[in-house]
Amino acid sequence: MAADPKIAPESSHFVSAASLRVRLDWFNKLRWGAAVGVLVATLLGERLLAQSLPLRSLLMAGSVLVFMNLGYVLRNLRLPPTDIVAELRLVKLQMLGDLLVLTILLNLTGGVENPLLYIYVVHVILASLLFKGKEIYQIAWLAIGLFTAEVMGEYLGWLPHHHLLSASDLTHQLPFIVLTLASFWLVLLFCAYMGASIMKHNRAIKDELVDRQAELIAADRSKMDFFRFVTHEIKSPVNTAQSAVETALEVGGASLDEGVQDMLSRAVRRLEQATDIVKDLADLTRGGGGLKQENLSDVDLGRLAAFLLDRQKDVADRTGQNLELETPQKPVIMHTNQAMLEKILDNLVSNAVRYNREGGRVLVQVRRSSDRVCIVVGDEGIGIAPEDRERIFEEFYRSTAAQRKSTLGTGLGLAIVRRFMQELGGHLDLDSEPGRGATFTVEFPLTAGRNGAVASTGGKGHDG
Amino acid sequence: MNKKTILVIDDDIDLVEIIRVTLENEDYEVIDAQNGERGIALAKEQNPDLILLDVMMSKVDEGFQVAYELRGSAETKEIPILMLTAVADQTGFDFNPDKDADFLPVDEFIEKPVSPRRLVDMVRKHLPTSV
Repeated sequence: MAADPKIAPESSHFVSAASLRVRLDWFNKLRWGAAVGVLVATLLGERLLAQSLPLRSLLMAGSVLVFMNLGYVLRNLRLPPTDIVAELRLVKLQMLGDLLVLTILLNLTGGVENPLLYIYVVHVILASLLFKGKEIYQIAWLAIGLFTAEVMGEYLGWLPHHHLLSASDLTHQLPFIVLTLASFWLVLLFCAYMGASIMKHNRAIKDELVDRQAELIAADRSKMDFFRFVTHEIKSPVNTAQSAVETALEVGGASLDEGVQDMLSRAVRRLEQATDIVKDLADLTRGGGGLKQENLSDVDLGRLAAFLLDRQKDVADRTGQNLELETPQKPVIMHTNQAMLEKILDNLVSNAVRYNREGGRVLVQVRRSSDRVCIVVGDEGIGIAPEDRERIFEEFYRSTAAQRKSTLGTGLGLAIVRRFMQELGGHLDLDSEPGRGATFTVEFPLTAGRNGAVASTGGKGHDG
Repeated sequence: MNKKTILVIDDDIDLVEIIRVTLENEDYEVIDAQNGERGIALAKEQNPDLILLDVMMSKVDEGFQVAYELRGSAETKEIPILMLTAVADQTGFDFNPDKDADFLPVDEFIEKPVSPRRLVDMVRKHLPTSV
């Protein structure tokens, strides 16, 4: 398996270390609840149950729970969740501790009389979800062993019995004990078996998905390698051919027959198109350098959008389109890779103008909310059919409607948009009704996240 | 009046011929070399007025190495160098003569495909005005 090294070590476990830690932190909170519950119940118990429970022992058990949990909480604070094996080892240790404390508490509060025994079931279910094979049954047999020993110990008089209910003698009723123990064993083993088999199935599905994803990544990589190779090989012939024809036109232009001039001009136009494809392929296969520190600068989104719209002015005027820009009064500044952002927006804006209807409107909006910035590019043109929503981002795919509308376009613009958005850690959204227009929204988180993209409003002294 | 001599260093023979036609049409004399080593030798021998240099020849960055060598040699360091680049060249260099003037040994980058008009403009701009 040509797996991503980040995925491989965890693939045989269903959960990741980080997601398991979230649960563990949650269990720590539950354990605080249990400890507080034990302490409060001990103090109230005497009045509610009219029984004299072994106060001091119960308080001690409660305190043990508190100290254990304090240890877990401190450990989680200090160690980041990186190693799933270490996390699972801790879970096992915690279960061992919890089951022991539970058994002691059970013994101090009536033994077999106490419905607290359900809590064993919870532990076995949890174990069956987190562990594999033998480990699940280790926990199940530990719970069974502890509970059986407690019940039998009391029955045989080896362990003291503390009444939970007044004058109840369930502890020494053999049929009741046998029935309880039999049900207990059955429930616990059944839980372990069910959980184990369901999780085995789930893990197989997950491993399958991980494999598939690795295959997709590898396929995409070899596709990009192929594009890179083609780009490299084809750029010199195309460049040189274009120069040759341009030179022929330039140097010999006046003396050439009009028909020959026309042919050469056509050749130049098509070679320019080929050059555009080579340039786009180079962008697509090389990427834009991403969010490396040396590539970042402050970009005024409103100004950038205005600049890009202005570049489309000639085409828009010829087709009677209105180009509009909506931007907040206060400049929206984003710290990002300017060249990449410019390429993304340029592709979206030039597409909007290219596929708009005559006399239609292209509206670019720059928006800023409390936690993100977004740029919306909308047109009133041919739109995108639902079945094309995904495909238009594929290399060289052009919808039938787009091909009919324009012979220009490399078929790579949106593939570059998608790739660059991934590199910049942004989110791309598309909304369209065929025949009524398309609206692309690019969105970036405002705070410094993993990706390091930071947006902010302009500092003091800026004027809009 | 002496014709100005321009040395073209490029391993693409077709492109060399295209440049020759363009520049001879403007009354320049064109000499050429198909590799860096020959180019440096020719530059020292013929002392051209300007050098057109391809960034990528047989090896990546060969053009840059040639440029460094020309700038490092007393006989050739004054000759303006225009470097031909293509957008898909993977040289690892940032083509920004303004920003990188301190360490890039060339006067101008000309992006391929080379348009004859732009080529002539650039050559005129960088040719020394006095012989």
